[in-house]
Amino acid sequence: MMKKFIIQVNGPAYGSTSSYKALQYCQAVIAAGHQIEKVFFYQDGVTNSSSLNCPASDEVNLYQLWLRLANEHNVPLINCVSAALRRGVLSQQDAYESNKAHWNVDAPFVMGGLGELVTGIEQADRFVSF
Amino acid sequence: MKHICVVFRHAPFGATSSREGIDFALLSASFEQQLCLVFTDEAVLHLLADQQPELAGSKDYVSVFKAFDLYDIEHVLVCETSLQRFGLTLEDLAISAQLASSTVITEQLQQADEVLVF
Repeated sequence: MMKKFIIQVNGPAYGSTSSYKALQYCQAVIAAGHQIEKVFFYQDGVTNSSSLNCPASDEVNLYQLWLRLANEHNVPLINCVSAALRRGVLSQQDAYESNKAHWNVDAPFVMGGLGELVTGIEQADRFVSF
Repeated sequence: MKHICVVFRHAPFGATSSREGIDFALLSASFEQQLCLVFTDEAVLHLLADQQPELAGSKDYVSVFKAFDLYDIEHVLVCETSLQRFGLTLEDLAISAQLASSTVITEQLQQADEVLVF
């Protein structure tokens, strides 16, 4: 029977393997016929959403893999905006509001509040944290 | 409504995970989830009185603990073994919390719909 999953990513884009495991887990959930309601990036997890991450061309590009997951399977990718702003991870709107010349978060990543994590947990059958 | 258990395991001010865990806990409470907070390992040190987080360049998120009642967070458990390890008792703590054996903590984890560890 199909289950609805919410995935929380707390680890950085680089420096630990937890985010890559989260991505692989999402792929496995979808392959098994389940649904990912959303991936919520919290703590250092928000660094996954930075379009300025530039790994060498022969290394895993986690940012691109998240994009592919979102585009191919229609998975919402949501940043906790407070956690992101503290770490220099900004959308165009955030940059405008904070009077910054640059930003590094674009669609399909979107900014959201912690409330979206709570309501997501409430609605999902399974909550898995990385 | 879900029964959410939030477990704190890290010492205050060395890392930011506890602060962001508290943010999550308060938000969950304001969204009317049923909450249980567990302080274990070095995280029991969060509960000591007279802390000065500013000296460590941290926001004073510890004083928020006194507002747990306002958020209707009734279940605050402190690991008995961890307290003993630091030579502390409930009387050393700045807020009222329930002393919990590992058995009681295990029961709480089993009863919860979801467990988050910070």
